[in-house]
Amino acid sequence: MIQELENILPNIQDEKQKASLQKAIALGVPSMKQEEWKYTYYNKILQQGFTPSIKFQNIDIEKEFIDANSVSSNRIIFVNGIFHNELSSLVNHPKINFWNANNISESTSKDFLIELNNAFASDGVFIEIGDNVIVDELIEILYINTSSTNIINLKNKIKVGKNAQVKFAEYYINYDAQPAYNNVVTDIDVAEHAQVEWYKIQDGGIGYNITDNTSVTQDKKSVCNVATLSFTGAISRNVLTFDVNGERAESHMNGLYLLLNDEHVDNRSLVNHNVANCESFELYKGILGGTSTGVFNGKIVVKQAAQKTNAFQSNRNILLSNDANIYTKPQLEIFADDVKCSHGATTSQIEDSELFYLQARGIGKEIARGLLVFAFGAEVLEKIKHEKLRKKLQQRIAELLKIEI
Amino acid sequence: MLKIQNLHASIDNKEILKGFSLEVNAGEIHAIMGPNGTGKSTLAAVLTGKDGYEITAGTVEFNGQNLLELEPEQRAQAGVFLAFQYPIEIPGVSNANFLKAAVNEIRKSKGEDPIAPNDFLKLMREKMALVEMNKDFISRSVNQGFSGGEKKRNEIFQMAMLDPKLAILDETDSGLDIDALRIVANGVNKLHTKENAFVVITHYQRLLDYIIPDFVHVMYDGRIVKTGDKSLALELEEKGYDWVKDLENVTM
Repeated sequence: MIQELENILPNIQDEKQKASLQKAIALGVPSMKQEEWKYTYYNKILQQGFTPSIKFQNIDIEKEFIDANSVSSNRIIFVNGIFHNELSSLVNHPKINFWNANNISESTSKDFLIELNNAFASDGVFIEIGDNVIVDELIEILYINTSSTNIINLKNKIKVGKNAQVKFAEYYINYDAQPAYNNVVTDIDVAEHAQVEWYKIQDGGIGYNITDNTSVTQDKKSVCNVATLSFTGAISRNVLTFDVNGERAESHMNGLYLLLNDEHVDNRSLVNHNVANCESFELYKGILGGTSTGVFNGKIVVKQAAQKTNAFQSNRNILLSNDANIYTKPQLEIFADDVKCSHGATTSQIEDSELFYLQARGIGKEIARGLLVFAFGAEVLEKIKHEKLRKKLQQRIAELLKIEI
Repeated sequence: MLKIQNLHASIDNKEILKGFSLEVNAGEIHAIMGPNGTGKSTLAAVLTGKDGYEITAGTVEFNGQNLLELEPEQRAQAGVFLAFQYPIEIPGVSNANFLKAAVNEIRKSKGEDPIAPNDFLKLMREKMALVEMNKDFISRSVNQGFSGGEKKRNEIFQMAMLDPKLAILDETDSGLDIDALRIVANGVNKLHTKENAFVVITHYQRLLDYIIPDFVHVMYDGRIVKTGDKSLALELEEKGYDWVKDLENVTM
């Protein structure tokens, strides 16, 4: 990988991109020796033959395919990392621009994947929602992959103005069941009193890899909810960071990973409570079957200035098979003295007494188990504030669990 | 319909049922009374196939079938119903979907097609009226946020939906106020026919003011120590359960 990056280096013209690529080369490919990569073997993605590239090809997808994967009329569509104008549509549209290297400020990251993204991002959305603008219709971003061995790098920058309200959903979609790898970086800037919902739907199917870095910056009295739902795929690593910089802001992080085969999902979150009087709520639930692996690492940092912080974090898992694994690590770092914080993690199995209740109504073990798993995950789905999307996700989960709801 | 002979059952090597025998025919209502810890709930659990109990002796026949050989869901499909003492909550699964799954699994076991959506809705509305459930109940999650009384009413409602041959009510009256008790009992009475039977397990006599049993059995130390008609329940109420301890050797 590093050799390939070095070979590409002379072909890159833009100075900022070049600097990022040099940084990526210097940082090196993530290794399991690094604490934050302890449970995820990054090379396993690369071994599937993905390489960085600056050459892209736009491919046509039928509109019917898009319709089947969408619940809204506000759609932004990328096919193999390139914005697809004909398939995209924005009704009641906010101001939207596309990725341009000139828009990128000097990177200060120490992260290989972010630098890789800076160097190779092919496209991405720059959306600005103006002050006081309320966008009713969900804005959907569809990443569609089809037979590409390129590492698809996409970069999104979202600015939500004062008092504005908006909901986004990102879908990772595989068009032709070929292996895929997306490396996405998203920055969300939430201004004073704004409300933002951001849903990540990861259901790309066999061989679909995702590395995601999402950073949220919140100003005072804002509310932001990021929900990450992972169902099918290969390796999915989600790094979510909240910087709460304004008082009386509210941050929500929700996650549901329903892994029934050999998926590997690594969810990492960090909340920096930098100022006083804020609240954060984090709930991640995992259902692990087959030979799947789940990783949860949630960190809450309460800085000294962040008095009267309320921060709650919970990670709950159920294991459906002996060969499934969960590694969970909740962390709290508190430097202020007048705070209310809690965290906890549980791992259990389906309760026999619950299973019996359903069986006693004539429901066979398999469907009974499916219904109980569905019930376990339902709490997270309730956090999806868009009804049509929530119902679609409920149906999808029911389908995966082979139950009817 | 149901023939239990000399049933012995243990949990964690502790014998709870010690030679329990009972025969229930279609059209009958039996009440089983007794102090706490005499094995009433164990009996209900063993009959419906809950895990964790070891049957060390005895037989249970249900309409000619060996009930003890069947999985819990097969027993339910054969027409055995248990109204739970502590119904569980199933968040995210609506009452309608839960019962549709149950109704259709039972139909499937009989080689029947799934129920048509309209017929199902009609059936639900009809049976909801029986236990005075509100309309929003259909879409509410199973037992989630239900009061104790609502949970018990829901058990009776489920019973009405599944139309069992034999219904076992495990302390359905405990924790009910008088209004809920009346609704529950009323539901049972309306569902009672010549073709089905009820076994009502209860600690107190007051439920039997509303559901009139054909037989009252007193259970003590894992078996029945006395059988009588409804007047026995009144006698128990008056004399208390200490009295039955002396009856231990008096068998039916």
